[in-house]
Amino acid sequence: MMTIENKKGWISWFNPFKYGTDRWMYSLHRLTGIILGLYLIAHVWETSHILDGPITWNSLMVFLDYPFGPHFGPFILSGVLLVAVYHALNGIRLTIVENGLMLPKPYRPEFPYRPKSLKGLNNVLKILLGVLMIIISAIGIYFIFTGVIL
Amino acid sequence: MQELALKGFGEVLKTVTFRVRRYDPEKRELSKYMEYKVPVQMGMTVLDGILYIKEHLDHSVSARYSCRMGICGSCGMIINGKEQLACQTQILELNKDLIKVDPMGNYPIVKDLVPDLSKLFRNHESVKPYIIREEEEPKSEFLQTPEQREEYAMFTDCILCGMCLSACPTNATDELYLGPQSLTQGYRYITDNRDMGFNERLNVLDSKHGVWRCHFSGACSEVCPKGVDPTLGVQLLRQLLASNSFVKYKQKEATKGPERKSVSGVS
Ligand code: SF4
Ligand code: FES
Repeated sequence: MMTIENKKGWISWFNPFKYGTDRWMYSLHRLTGIILGLYLIAHVWETSHILDGPITWNSLMVFLDYPFGPHFGPFILSGVLLVAVYHALNGIRLTIVENGLMLPKPYRPEFPYRPKSLKGLNNVLKILLGVLMIIISAIGIYFIFTGVIL
Repeated sequence: MQELALKGFGEVLKTVTFRVRRYDPEKRELSKYMEYKVPVQMGMTVLDGILYIKEHLDHSVSARYSCRMGICGSCGMIINGKEQLACQTQILELNKDLIKVDPMGNYPIVKDLVPDLSKLFRNHESVKPYIIREEEEPKSEFLQTPEQREEYAMFTDCILCGMCLSACPTNATDELYLGPQSLTQGYRYITDNRDMGFNERLNVLDSKHGVWRCHFSGACSEVCPKGVDPTLGVQLLRQLLASNSFVKYKQKEATKGPERKSVSGVS
């Protein structure tokens, strides 16, 4: 039989269109995970410059604060904060639901079938995630720009 | 009343364009899209549309189908970007002038819209989807209360359409992943109180490409045409396996009914 492969491939991780919130959050979790990984590599590279002495270090710090004009550094940092907060909070949510907690008991499916595992307490967790994310990032971004902890 | 219900029945209400992905195994060329104009009547499903194309426009279009009423699970395909049973999808309800029909993803394509589902069937077989007992021939029936049945009943509705494997993003990159369907069926038989095969299934389910590969994208439950909710099945299985590594899972012993000469009736 002459079949051809039809794998959706890794690109489909980032194709949540037409599916629901859980699928969107999965895509975002992947994306933020990759961004965090790249950030960590860049971060290690950046801090390794401390070995080159205070002059290099200081000029690097100034460059990172003002790469394309004033206060661009804080914007990048705020982005990293948002990414990290989402990845952490969603990670906690996934740890809960992936261990079968806060999910419904087996039930009788009824037409039109709406899967209950993607609703109910799982939805409460998602809303909680959103609220916590707003609070934490507001405090964090305020700190990044002003240096004052609320 | 009846006149109202039948209003527009049998008339061509609009014409939609079907953009169908084609692959001809004999020509050995890459797959391509071809467009067909299909007149739509009330009640026409996407499968009806494909059959219309086959009858009137292009006899070489191939699709898999059998029951035409959502029972056999043969006609899963990607309709406008989402896995759906073609025979259960009303063209008018889609409310689009362009209907894009693709074969299911993550399976090899045999021809046009026909996927090769052998991976699904192999994986399903590997979790031993049947009651495993120690005794050779049972002497009596195994009793089950309605509550015990309720624990797994919803997972028995699976019709093996394979759409969950097409929607699953883990399956898109991991060739050997068991997939939501098989994992859910594994759970269904483990929780059956008549079953004694937990240890036999363990090495398949609790493997590198088994239950721990699920990342809770929920796509399988969303596309499942029978409301099986494989996402739930997989997570419950994971809970069971995780707690098994602390406290060994105790198989439920089904109580036995009165002894008989032969339960099969042939003594
Ligand atoms: S679990 Fe649902 S989507 Fe998956 S094969 Fe069974 S019926 Fe189809
Ligand atoms: S043809 Fe049987 S499910 Fe669609």
